[in-house]
Amino acid sequence: MEAPIRARDTLALALFSLLFFICRSSPLNNLLISNAERRIDLSSHIVKAYLTLKVENAGSTPASEILLAFPLAQAGHLATVEALASKGKRKKTTLVRLEVKPTELPDAPNDAIYFTIYLANPLNSGESTTFEVLYMLTRSLEPFPAEIGQSESQLVIYRDSALILSPYHIKQQTTFIKTPSPKVESFTRVEPTNRAGTEIKYGPYEDRPPYSVSPILVHFENNSPFAVVEELVREVEISHWGNLQVTEKYTLVHAGARHKGVFSRVDYQSRPSSTGVSSFRYLLARLPPRVHSVYYRDEIGNISSSHLRADSRKSELEIEPRYPLLGGWKATFVIGYGLPLQDFLFESTDDRRYLNFTFGCPLLETVVDKLTIKVVLPEGSKDPSAVVPFPVEQHLETKYSYLDVVGRTVVVLEKKNVVPMHNSHFQVYYIFKPIFMLAEPLMLASAFFLFFVACVAYLHIDLSIRK
Amino acid sequence: MAPPGKPITSPVPDAWYPTLAVVLLAIGLVVTASFFIYEATSSKRNRSIAKELVTGAVASVFLGFGSLFLLLSAGVYV
Repeated sequence: MEAPIRARDTLALALFSLLFFICRSSPLNNLLISNAERRIDLSSHIVKAYLTLKVENAGSTPASEILLAFPLAQAGHLATVEALASKGKRKKTTLVRLEVKPTELPDAPNDAIYFTIYLANPLNSGESTTFEVLYMLTRSLEPFPAEIGQSESQLVIYRDSALILSPYHIKQQTTFIKTPSPKVESFTRVEPTNRAGTEIKYGPYEDRPPYSVSPILVHFENNSPFAVVEELVREVEISHWGNLQVTEKYTLVHAGARHKGVFSRVDYQSRPSSTGVSSFRYLLARLPPRVHSVYYRDEIGNISSSHLRADSRKSELEIEPRYPLLGGWKATFVIGYGLPLQDFLFESTDDRRYLNFTFGCPLLETVVDKLTIKVVLPEGSKDPSAVVPFPVEQHLETKYSYLDVVGRTVVVLEKKNVVPMHNSHFQVYYIFKPIFMLAEPLMLASAFFLFFVACVAYLHIDLSIRK
Repeated sequence: MAPPGKPITSPVPDAWYPTLAVVLLAIGLVVTASFFIYEATSSKRNRSIAKELVTGAVASVFLGFGSLFLLLSAGVYV
């Protein structure tokens, strides 16, 4: 009969298409993590986590992409995610950086964000590979109590999960949490849990399904300086006559537990080990070598409490704000310095010039909420473009400076949530014809010539009324 | 890392800036002096405008470059 045959055909077609879609929609079911070890370092206010994953390909097709998941609560605080794979034999292993990109997964549970790691060589069926992931979280330590007096110690809460969030099945996993001091008020126990001194061990946990979580909370003492720069504007002015002038405007805040009550200067200075333990007085900035004309001032005027120590590889500027910073206190200041041009400006092979400079804040162990770098190119520069190793927002502006007629092009790069890991080099390319350097002295010469022409005109014009 | 390239320096060595500033300004002021001496000592009929303008142009070129190197040696990198 026709009708049953047609019904059987459509049923077969539906079954095949269903199987086809099932096989296509889950590339992640081929892989399985045989061993995962996570070490979370809570010693400073930037949370650093090192994840070592051993991934096995249990499917039949080779895989070259691995998915990494993070809970949605950490999404806004994730500053960097890096993946490293070791290459080579036992004695000569080198670390190779793998590309990591954020991805969207529409058909997965939506309380997580995802990153894809692209492997250098595809992982064949039955093989396994080990690689490390390093990620940093900012603003993840919540001060609890939120307000403390001058003589109290700072206690913070760190929330995470004892089980590593992953779209793959994990056979065995362990998490180690390292606190800065042995003083831990409380921590969630998810058996088996062990605590020894400054390290808390969660695990090993066997055979957990994908997307399994077990929320934990660690309440511990952290008196490391919570130095956060709310806004940093760095301006780098290039002058082809041999100098790079850098001006940095900081808005610094202590992002730990807020200070409540009075501030007694006598107590603070006489008993430094028991009062103001979470405050900080000194900040260290690492500047390039051969720096000159360094100044440190704010709106009132020059701040003289600073020291500059220079050697052949780096210069260190130790600054002390006008007052020590306790929880919630702010300080704004400007640091400026000059650098020799030949260390930073180069000529590339296709006749373009480029500036090679470091992104990021020179202050050590600080988080910057919003960083803006402005590179001011000399007058007469064309075709500016910036090459930065991580995503930033770019746009162009114009600035009028010394002896300018048409204005200088400014390349503005902005980034949010910057940690010291971002102190890598970036390049700004532009085209400049050296003949334009003559524009400045010729402008000065023509101003003087105008004066001489005025003299000649005055001496030749007859202004007498009577003949 | 950054691609390799040749470092770019100023067309005039840094160490010469103060010397060049003083020398060029001195020559410029001498030529300016000769311009004003010519104006003062010649009478209206003998003046030749070509000589005045040429002296003025030479003086302004030397004074222009001299003031540029003066600004550079003082730390105002224009």
